[in-house]
Amino acid sequence: MKNIRRDFLLILPFFVFLGFFEIYPILNLFVKSFFSDKGSFTLQYYRNIFLLDQYRLAIRNSLLFSTSASLFGGILGTFVGYFISHLKRSTKNFLLSLYSLPLTLSGLVVAFAFIVLLGRNGVLNQIIRLLFHLPKDYYIDIYSWPGIVFVYGFFQIPLMTLTMAAVFENLDKSIVEASKNLGATTFQTWRYVIIPSLAPGFVSGLSIQFAGMLGAFGTVLALVGGEKNLLSIQIYFQTSESTYNLPQSAALSVALILIISVVLSILNLVERKLKPGG
Amino acid sequence: MKKKILENLVIILLVLYIVVPISMPIIFSFSKFWQGILPQGFTLEWYAQIIKRQKNYSALMVSLFVATSATLISLTISLPAAYVVNRLKGRFGEALKNFINILPMIFPPVIVGSALILAFSKPPLAFNGSLFMVIVAHTLLGFPYMFRNTLASFRTIDEITLSEAAQSLGASLVERFRYVIIPNVIHGITVGALLVFAISIGEFEVTSMVAGFTGQTLPLQLFQQIRNDMRVASAISAFLIYISLLSFIGITYITSKTRKD
Repeated sequence: MKNIRRDFLLILPFFVFLGFFEIYPILNLFVKSFFSDKGSFTLQYYRNIFLLDQYRLAIRNSLLFSTSASLFGGILGTFVGYFISHLKRSTKNFLLSLYSLPLTLSGLVVAFAFIVLLGRNGVLNQIIRLLFHLPKDYYIDIYSWPGIVFVYGFFQIPLMTLTMAAVFENLDKSIVEASKNLGATTFQTWRYVIIPSLAPGFVSGLSIQFAGMLGAFGTVLALVGGEKNLLSIQIYFQTSESTYNLPQSAALSVALILIISVVLSILNLVERKLKPGG
Repeated sequence: MKKKILENLVIILLVLYIVVPISMPIIFSFSKFWQGILPQGFTLEWYAQIIKRQKNYSALMVSLFVATSATLISLTISLPAAYVVNRLKGRFGEALKNFINILPMIFPPVIVGSALILAFSKPPLAFNGSLFMVIVAHTLLGFPYMFRNTLASFRTIDEITLSEAAQSLGASLVERFRYVIIPNVIHGITVGALLVFAISIGEFEVTSMVAGFTGQTLPLQLFQQIRNDMRVASAISAFLIYISLLSFIGITYITSKTRKD
């Protein structure tokens, strides 16, 4: 018994590392956001977030962008997941492995790939112009908001596919059979049996997407630089560029953490409500 | 019959959706130039530029060093932690596991970056801009993957019984880890290590925030080259894709092997 207790000390390095390099810096972030450069207490940086157009727009854009990107990835990923879960094992495993590849790919590499493919003079744009005899200045625009959402789909769709393939796999086939035996139409089976049992998994997949998108900026930065105003990009510029304002970046970071936490809590609540017996 | 054709068509489209974008930098990197629809000529010059240009070469070395260090640190802290969490009974273990799962979601890279800059830019803790800070940042982003996979491996074996047997034969804690525990969870460790390494090699967001002149990694070079020289950028992108591909082949191989066991 004594031996086992002593073994528990093995978790110490983990807590020390996490405490010193993650928990302490985040707590420090909260504290610093209330103090000006000279060290006096102030709420100025939070007031700025509510009053300055630059930051209000950033928050609005971030919310809109994350919502559209996670719905785009979430819905398409669900269809792909459904399709894949019905294939024979070897094809299924191959596609699932292929769809886990984007998870480790650098956002910059994906930005570069899409610039070559769909940039102003991208291969696909040239082919489209040639095929449909379109003027030289016509191109599918990946530098616009819908374009950026489309590019992020390369991360979001596979992520949702992996989540939903597992959900469909675990779907209890016997209740679907039971509903059919009781005389339900295909529509009724989907409406009253399949969709309710998938919904919690869908919402949980959606929250992973949403949280990820709220913090993302690498690919956007590589595509359009600072041209698009997002909360994450504002934080980046306030810490790393010449516009440097650390307490302001701390306040913006706190705002981002709060937004993510609120969104995650709401989705978590919805997920629980949707669970049978919830 | 018609259904079968449609099914195969969708499968092909799904494969193309991933394969076409990632093959773009690879094709680009082997072509002399690519202005029109088809690339022209074959060359290895852009790869040679990674090694020949001092800036690119040192970035390559920095990237490999950072990724290796981040993987090793992740392993050092996560393996013992997974060992303990696996033995914890009741709520605390579950809570800790959920906490680690949710950590990367509430604290995304941009937050990790700004928090590190704020905490470590003044003496006596002026790590900001050092290579050490880059390694710490990559470890913070990567360790949840190492922890999750190692813990999953622990859950598939009956570690407590194995350890008791080893203990009754007189094995010390170090000996147990060396001869009993590590060989049994090596699959999880390898999958975790491949993920942490691949994530670290491609990481751009936090790196660009905390890296000074000494922490210039390959993705930071890539970011500059995308604006200046697409050809060298293509070789760097292709190289990063190869690393991801290798790690993903490794992971697929390991998971298919463990499934058969």
